[in-house]
Amino acid sequence: MRSLPALLILAVAIAVPIAFGGNSYVMGLMVSGLIVAGVALAWALLGNLGGMVSFGHAAFFGVGAYTSAILSAKFGLPVPLALLAGACGAALCSVVMLPALRLSGPYFALAILAYAHIFKILATEATSITGGSAGFQRFPPLPTILGLDLSSRVGSYGLLVILVAICAAIYLAVKRSHVGTALRAMAESEDATRVVGVNATLLKAWMLLLSAFITGLFGAMNAHIINFLEPDYAFSASWSILPIIAAIFGGYRTILGPVAGAVLIYLFDQIVAKELLPVGHEILLGVLLAGMILIAPNGLFGMFQRKTAKGAAHAAA
Amino acid sequence: MLELLQQSLFSGLLVGSVYALVALGIALTFGAMKIINLAHGELVLLAAYMAYVIESRTGWNPYAAIPLAFVVTGIVSVVIYLLIERIREHRELNSLILTFAIGIILTNAILLVFASDVRSTGSPFLQDAISLGSVYAMKGEITAFIISLAVMAGLWWWLKNSWYGRAVRAVSSNRDASMLMGIDPRRVELAAFIVAGILASVAGVALYTMSVVQPALGPGLTIKAFIVTVLAGVGSIPGVFCAALLLGVTEAMTVTLASSALQELVGMVLFLLVLFFMPNGLFGARARRG
Amino acid sequence: MLRLEDVTVRFGGLTALKDVSFAMGAGEILGLVGPNGAGKTTLFNTISGLVRPKTGRILFAEREIGRLPLHARARLGLGRTFQIPQPMHHLTVRENLTVAQVFGAGKADAARVDEILEVMELSQHAERNAATELALQELKRLEIAKALATNPKLLLLDEVLAGLESKAKRRFVDKLRELHERYKLAIVIVEHDIETISTLCSRAVVLNFGQMIADGTPAEVFRNPAVVESYTGAADA
Repeated sequence: MRSLPALLILAVAIAVPIAFGGNSYVMGLMVSGLIVAGVALAWALLGNLGGMVSFGHAAFFGVGAYTSAILSAKFGLPVPLALLAGACGAALCSVVMLPALRLSGPYFALAILAYAHIFKILATEATSITGGSAGFQRFPPLPTILGLDLSSRVGSYGLLVILVAICAAIYLAVKRSHVGTALRAMAESEDATRVVGVNATLLKAWMLLLSAFITGLFGAMNAHIINFLEPDYAFSASWSILPIIAAIFGGYRTILGPVAGAVLIYLFDQIVAKELLPVGHEILLGVLLAGMILIAPNGLFGMFQRKTAKGAAHAAA
Repeated sequence: MLELLQQSLFSGLLVGSVYALVALGIALTFGAMKIINLAHGELVLLAAYMAYVIESRTGWNPYAAIPLAFVVTGIVSVVIYLLIERIREHRELNSLILTFAIGIILTNAILLVFASDVRSTGSPFLQDAISLGSVYAMKGEITAFIISLAVMAGLWWWLKNSWYGRAVRAVSSNRDASMLMGIDPRRVELAAFIVAGILASVAGVALYTMSVVQPALGPGLTIKAFIVTVLAGVGSIPGVFCAALLLGVTEAMTVTLASSALQELVGMVLFLLVLFFMPNGLFGARARRG
Repeated sequence: MLRLEDVTVRFGGLTALKDVSFAMGAGEILGLVGPNGAGKTTLFNTISGLVRPKTGRILFAEREIGRLPLHARARLGLGRTFQIPQPMHHLTVRENLTVAQVFGAGKADAARVDEILEVMELSQHAERNAATELALQELKRLEIAKALATNPKLLLLDEVLAGLESKAKRRFVDKLRELHERYKLAIVIVEHDIETISTLCSRAVVLNFGQMIADGTPAEVFRNPAVVESYTGAADA
């Protein structure tokens, strides 16, 4: 992916801490933006490769957050392991959702939403484990590794950039693999793939698990960064909604689109929207999302890709 | 205990009738256009707030708000329809996201205009409870139930006897064939949307009279409507009615027997159970998958 | 190689196949004949796994496959083409074969993909979008190429010759014979054309209204009065 957008994003990613490293507020925004970016990436992966739109990613986010927090606080698991465990927990909970794979588009999206609600209510009710709606604090923050304090703004920023990059690389690797090719065909010709030996259901299941894993990982990261957890926050619909808007805005058929989109949308929401309308600022996001679907359903990066593809075709002809 | 159960059964039935109205609205647009309007719950909520406006401004009975509610939800419905019309590719999923976005817009618009306070009817007539044997019901609930039944009967008549109604049924079951018969699907879709809006406005006003409203209710209503349509399966108004009553009763029982927090949970679990084990719904005729 | 025992398939109230039984060996080319609506495509769908039979057994290489999902049967060596070609969308011709190979045969082998492309005369179309840039004849060849890429032992061909005029038909038949010899394939082919069946197939099975009414060499089968009646009867209707 030695393309211009990728290099640009990399440049920005490096420039930000250099320019704003001392500014806690800005770095905090970037950190949160990157969390949304991770989830947006995971959502887009499921939508793009798996062909499934989900309205309930908050479920994976919350489960990842709680699993990691509980394991590190109550069972003393070191934070890095707890993070991975959180991701695995989210992946496990997606196993429960596997039956939903049989459903067509809108039914799947809403089934996942139903699951998200269920998990949220379960987390609220299981007060003995999760502390219920009162919330859950006292769990360890990100550790210091090799002298780098990862719990600092810059430290967590750096870690998140690396994680997002790794997840993007995984996405790319899957997309380019034979599995990715088969998934591409499955979108509109699933029976044709089955007839030649593709276990379509299994491939879709893997995409669901992968998407859940990544989302859970970022949910866990977020928990340790802000050091506070309660069901309404961890399972908040925002974690389902913001990534969708981010991915559509940035271009959900691309890999970097959701990432760039997430940061932009998050910054827009926090800096512009909340200033204009402290209450009901989501309305601007809704307008943005509706506008994108109507005018540019392939998002920013999608439009850019189209242009370069046309250019390439022209050159080849 | 038995009395509590009887009471919750009865209350559940009354609430269920309003759920049925909401569900029928979603089912109508789904049948005509094969898209799910995720903003439908917000339309109902909009109508409920219109009832609030009328009652608080004029002191009239909230049901007097129905004409206003018709107009407002009608206009919004038409706007939604026109926007959906403009989607070129991947209609099914893009319209899902579009209506999702519109839902967000409407919810926040309501929040901006009316603030997040909880509202409900102040009318003493409607809040007055009467007893029927060993169960109690608010007059508001009974009125809502009766009006819901009346509207459903009207809908049933419309679908069976009016030209547009039958056209909607035709397009729902076979779009291409109905086009060959000279039916313009776009007009039919618009009609379906408008009728769905009418259903939503009655449901919204009824909701206001029998329960409390706040801006956050929108998505929950849409989800409940969806759960009901899945429970009912494709097919008939009676099926939707029964499924809605079932949901209402199950929720009421859960509140009585367990806790109110689990109320939402039970609907979700029911939804998933039916989706996985009875994809035709409890009363439905045709398969839903794929 | 392939054996069906008393296979019955019902769709709701309609019995599409009733007590169908036959067997075929590894080197045979079997013709499946019958008027429209007799159940030939349903039989293929049942063998390949799109449809589950109500009763009966299906054995492939002495192994019962009735419970296996579609993709598992493909991996065992059961290839199938559709009457209306179903290429994999959004992929090039080459990618179609590669996916079939990787998932159906077990591993990628670019040389073999090239070989199949050549045999099926698709080499110059290799980089074209399979779903949008091919003509009907090429699509039909792709159907077979895809199935070949899975290293099949048995090929189910559903009316591959429909829509072709006689010269193209003859070329296709020669091609099928070439494939049969080159790859040691057993073939079951659904066909209406009596001449094709007679020249290509060593055996023929006739279906009518979901039931088998004849099983033997093409010559025997086409002399059978019940078979003749089913054809002429269908022509009248």
